[in-house]
Amino acid sequence: CESDLDLQPEDNRLTADAAFEEPGAYKAFLAKLYAGLSVSGQQGPAGDADLSGLDEGFSNYMRLYWSMQELTTDEAVIGWNDGTIKDLHAQTWTSGNEFIRTMYSRIFYQVALTNEFLRQTSDAKLDARSTEASLRGDIQKYRAEARFMRALTYWHALDLFGNVPFVTEDDPIGAFLPQQIQRQDLFDYIESELLAIEGEITGARLNDYGRADQAAVWMLLSKLYINAEVYTGTARYSDVVTYTSKIIESGFSIADNPYYHLFLADNDTNGTQSEVIFPITFDGLNTQSFGGMTFFIHAAVGGSMVPADYGINGGWAGLRTTSKLVDKFPGEANSADGRALFYTDGQTKEIANISNFTNGYAVEKFRNVDVNGVAGSDPTGDIPDTDFPMFRLADAYLMYAEAFVRGAGGSATNAVNYINILRERAYGNTSGNITQSSLNLDFILAERSRELFWEAHRRTDLIRFGQFSDQGLWPWKGNVAQGRTTEAFRDLMPLPATDLGINTNLKQNQGY
Amino acid sequence: GTVTDQASAPLPGVNILIKGTTTGTTTDWDGNYSISAKNGDIVVFSYVGFKPQEFNYTGQQSLNVVLIEDTALLDEIVLIGYGSTTKQDATGSVEKVSEKEFNQGAIVSPEQLLAGKSAGVRITSSGGDPGGGSDIRIRGGASLSANNSPLIVIDGLPLDQRGVQGVRNQLNAINPTDIEDFVVLKDASATAIYGSRASNGVILITTKKGKTNAPLTVEYDLKASVAQVTDYVDVLSASEFRTIAEADTNFNENLLGNSSTDWQKQIYQTAVGAIHNVTVSQGFENFNFRANVNHTSQQGVLTGDLYERNSVNLSAVQRLFDNNLKLTLTTKGILDDNKYADKGAIGAAIGYDPTHSVYNEDGSYFQYVGQNLALVNPVFSLDNNNNRARNTRNISNFNVDYNMPFLDGLKFNLNAGLDYSEISGKEYRLASPTNPGSFNYQNFYTGFNRNTLLDFYFNYKKNLSSLNTNVDLTAGHSYQEFYIKSDRRETETSGGLVPRATIINRNALESYFARASFDIANRYLLSLTVRRDGSSRFGEENRWSTFPGVSAGWKISNEDFLQNSVISNLKLRAGWGKTGQQEIGQNYGYLGVYTPGRSDASVQFGYINGVPQFVNTLRPEEFDENLKWEETSQYNVALDFGLFDERLTGTVDAYYRETTDLLATIPTAAGSNLSDLLTTNVGSVLSKGIEFSLNGALAQSEDFNWDMAFNVTLQENKITKLSLGTDPNFFIAQGGISGGTGNNIQLWREGLDPSTFYVFRQVYDTAGQPIEGAYVDVNGDNQITEADKQAYKKASPDAYLGFTNTLNYKNLDFSFTFRGSLGNYMYNNVASDRGNVTTVNDAPGQYYVNAHSSVLDNNFQKQNLFSDYYIERADFVKLDNVSLGYLVPGEKIDLRLSLTATNLFTITKYDGLDPEISNGIDNNFYPRPKTYVLGLNFTF
Repeated sequence: CESDLDLQPEDNRLTADAAFEEPGAYKAFLAKLYAGLSVSGQQGPAGDADLSGLDEGFSNYMRLYWSMQELTTDEAVIGWNDGTIKDLHAQTWTSGNEFIRTMYSRIFYQVALTNEFLRQTSDAKLDARSTEASLRGDIQKYRAEARFMRALTYWHALDLFGNVPFVTEDDPIGAFLPQQIQRQDLFDYIESELLAIEGEITGARLNDYGRADQAAVWMLLSKLYINAEVYTGTARYSDVVTYTSKIIESGFSIADNPYYHLFLADNDTNGTQSEVIFPITFDGLNTQSFGGMTFFIHAAVGGSMVPADYGINGGWAGLRTTSKLVDKFPGEANSADGRALFYTDGQTKEIANISNFTNGYAVEKFRNVDVNGVAGSDPTGDIPDTDFPMFRLADAYLMYAEAFVRGAGGSATNAVNYINILRERAYGNTSGNITQSSLNLDFILAERSRELFWEAHRRTDLIRFGQFSDQGLWPWKGNVAQGRTTEAFRDLMPLPATDLGINTNLKQNQGY
Repeated sequence: GTVTDQASAPLPGVNILIKGTTTGTTTDWDGNYSISAKNGDIVVFSYVGFKPQEFNYTGQQSLNVVLIEDTALLDEIVLIGYGSTTKQDATGSVEKVSEKEFNQGAIVSPEQLLAGKSAGVRITSSGGDPGGGSDIRIRGGASLSANNSPLIVIDGLPLDQRGVQGVRNQLNAINPTDIEDFVVLKDASATAIYGSRASNGVILITTKKGKTNAPLTVEYDLKASVAQVTDYVDVLSASEFRTIAEADTNFNENLLGNSSTDWQKQIYQTAVGAIHNVTVSQGFENFNFRANVNHTSQQGVLTGDLYERNSVNLSAVQRLFDNNLKLTLTTKGILDDNKYADKGAIGAAIGYDPTHSVYNEDGSYFQYVGQNLALVNPVFSLDNNNNRARNTRNISNFNVDYNMPFLDGLKFNLNAGLDYSEISGKEYRLASPTNPGSFNYQNFYTGFNRNTLLDFYFNYKKNLSSLNTNVDLTAGHSYQEFYIKSDRRETETSGGLVPRATIINRNALESYFARASFDIANRYLLSLTVRRDGSSRFGEENRWSTFPGVSAGWKISNEDFLQNSVISNLKLRAGWGKTGQQEIGQNYGYLGVYTPGRSDASVQFGYINGVPQFVNTLRPEEFDENLKWEETSQYNVALDFGLFDERLTGTVDAYYRETTDLLATIPTAAGSNLSDLLTTNVGSVLSKGIEFSLNGALAQSEDFNWDMAFNVTLQENKITKLSLGTDPNFFIAQGGISGGTGNNIQLWREGLDPSTFYVFRQVYDTAGQPIEGAYVDVNGDNQITEADKQAYKKASPDAYLGFTNTLNYKNLDFSFTFRGSLGNYMYNNVASDRGNVTTVNDAPGQYYVNAHSSVLDNNFQKQNLFSDYYIERADFVKLDNVSLGYLVPGEKIDLRLSLTATNLFTITKYDGLDPEISNGIDNNFYPRPKTYVLGLNFTF
């Protein structure tokens, strides 16, 4: 009977060789690389999770990345008692923080997925499978996108953790211990990958909605260069001008829509998509998750807010903002600036008790209703249709302006003009427009917050402007109501204690 | 003369022999015999299960003999897996628990017969649900993430350790009434013959068969029971609740009602149950049979919960060729029906606002309409949510036992077994009344489990008189395959009923095994076993492993210097063995497989004609190519003793067990694999313990007997290695709790018991009250962070014990069993989650939620989930059952009446509902009821 011990899957699971006999498998695997950011497993909204070290809803990539980028800053607080989640805003996290750990796990899961994709699509594998030439052509495009997705994730690793384990498609899968890469080297690697695929990936605005193209590559290069001084000690602002200009000149435009339309259930079709360089797509029926947009919308609703106004069945009463963000808008919640999307009814501006939802203004930026107020496709009101605009033109404009202010060249006219395009949309007229005299670094940082708050940029921005840890104050930073500064080492997140315990090649970030 | 038992019933088939001759006979149907003897002959009467008696023949016309049942016969046959031995020749840690020692009561699940009866065996029921399963731990479990339950073998057929689908407890397929005895194999020298599945011990269950030459017997047995919940979770009364709600600055009177409802009393019912058994048996010279029909119906105390079993159990034995060929067929047909009550009602009743009534004035259910996160009225859930499943199962075993004619003492044994079950279930849930957008949910599930076994062995027994040695040799082969298939159709978000992908899992084990036992001079025993197992769950390089065992014994009482002393038995034995484990749940862990995603987890790739296109995903799964056997090595030393002609017997067993290459699901080095956690071979655990059992016949006479049995187990488990690294502080969080998502209260760390809690050390004021949020700043950095958590206490006990007394006076019998546990702690999660003011006042919507009464003592404003304040001592002693019975003997019918009470009282300092929860986390526990049972037994 010994041959009877050679058992292989008999249901819809397949071995790799069996799976790739089906030509559609390559595209399905590519889809998984994108799904890695939006959903948490093979079932929506939960079940059959990718990661099992934390509750599945929490383990969603976008939810974790957003939590790292927003909860640690003046833009957001959360009232829940989920493990160490409050330590993020208090900036008292340790290497045992499970949200930081799971972010790290998510990043390296995504890297491992992309590596596996590249291994399974190597020339040798495709030859062995006698893959048809037309499919091979598609696969080359897929490979460029997979490398973009890996670069994106490695950028998150570079930004959050700095010196991290480093694996590529040349490493095996198994119980080995990856080597640690230094931040400078990781920067170089990401840059080289992006430059290598710049010419291979589908041209700007030519790929399917939801998929990465050349503009996404330029955008990621811009993000890399604008933070280069933080990452490597060497400024690369002129490269920011170069690559943001390529984006700006490739046909994206700010639509003639109010600002809030960017964050509605129909933001893939209501016109504002003309600005979107790279979205993370969500869908009430087809792309279901308890992380991502489901979290951003539900968790921000509570108190006297009417859930139906946001196209959902109920609020989770968790997320609010601090007075620091409110104060950035002249006139505060009643600002003429249409980007001041706050809910104040029954809410206090200041926060006495973080656990209580009514402490702090609520933020009504993301909604699961379309421009006409009609709720999204999920009849139960659980899962929104709203897409997350991870990279959009406004950010490119702001980066161009910032690089200009930092003396990297470019045109003053363009810089002021780009800012004013955004402000005209925000104010509905030119009353908020600025002149070159207002264009300084403080203005840029504040304007980035006004334009991009809750879009997962804030932590990176604050660090670049030196305002995240030992400078910069906001309520409940340092776990005190009035806020206090923290140690500079917190500009980098700690490597999780679990991985340090396992991977003896790793050295903890300084300070932890 | 006539031979009878103590109850004057004739004994057929008793062997009668003139000592030292070959002259003998047996008794007939009525216990009569005749034999020719001469003065001075010694006549020996022997019968299995009775003490042999010898009489000097002095010329009597007739000799009437009363045989006394033997309670602890040393030559009692004990199964040891692929064969048997006798109690006196057993060298491993093997304990047999027979019918008369079983727990009394309306027992639905067979393992409950055994609770508290055997040292080293801890059986903890999962709660009060009818027919619910239990955690069975022999010597505390040898693994971390892999299976920790013993292998259960029924009449030679090892069950699938994963259970079967759709039932509360797969062991319910065995009607307790049909069980003859349990044999518990505890140490590795005893279990090694089961190789790869033996690390957590083995329980061999033998079902009853007919007896040879036995008259037709018809028996009807009824056990009728009534069960009630006697204790509830301490929550705030309506007035206490109102006081806290009103104190809030945002208090909204409109959200409260005017009632005073004890919601927990609304969800529990007085549960009635009945167990009917009709058993017919008869034995002839060459053929015997036994047939049992069972109907069991047991309500749960949670309203609507119901367990029903209808089963038939048949066994037939045919002997051919002068008893040289024995064919045994046992087959059981079981319909296992469950109606599962919605257990969410337990938590909902604890948290529901007590100022509201169950029903509105118009008779409709009170609900928080439109409050999506609010609790659903628990009475509504119990009344309307419905999950019924039927499991139709057959367990059959066909055994051929043949004494080979050409060589005396050589035997061939073949065993073919099948365990096949089909599940069919229907689940309905009404649309959630709190969410207007939700829809009615249906889930139809079907599937089957198939477990097929074919094994055979040769056994050769020989007395080598020249060496004064008995030799017993066994060698065999076994193949077992497990196949599981599941299908499901359920309502999707879009409202339609959709079929889900079929899940199929198949795995197989192939084995070769051998054993050699030697009994030298009736003093020195030696037993060697080896098993070689192959598992389909590992790649070719790691597929096979060998599991040896060796044990030796010295029957000291057979030495001359102990003859004619008060010591009737004294045996020292020691053993070592290596066993394995492959029960990791997943089948292809060594193979990288790809799993397709469902359409509700797909991603958008652009549009075609304005219609968004969604692509289903394909995910590669994590794997460890080098996955291999978990290995457990166990040493055992023991002393068996018997005093005063075996009236006082006992055993002291000590063991030391180490499991290496643990199959543990642990964090994998980031980037090295395709998930954050991976099942791989890493780390080791160590356990050691001492087990002591003592059995005494305090009184032994024709009219009055009193047997007492006591056992205690001391044990210690700890993790000795957990990762590939060397960081001694490396730990893995365990023990999920409620109150926030993703929170854990226990940890695995080197040097600690795997159930150790991981908490902040609470600071108390001078009055002994906890100061909210004040914890010991262990690392002195002036802030309380993760780094200040400490390992503190554990859920597993240091010691546990069982104490049973059985008394009978003439036809009256009385028995009771105590069970206890020492050194175990419990995390009171109901109090930590709900015992604070915020629970009442800060619901995420327009409603209030009830709190645990501990808030009245500590006035906590917020959750303090990780405070050691909630880690409580949970030592307990429990009166498991008390039973009183009376036998009314009749001419044709014997009637036995009994009255049993179970779970009568628990002595404990633990504040929560029940100190006996196996993982040490008390949260929305299904209460174990107190049960009263009336038993009637008619034997025709």
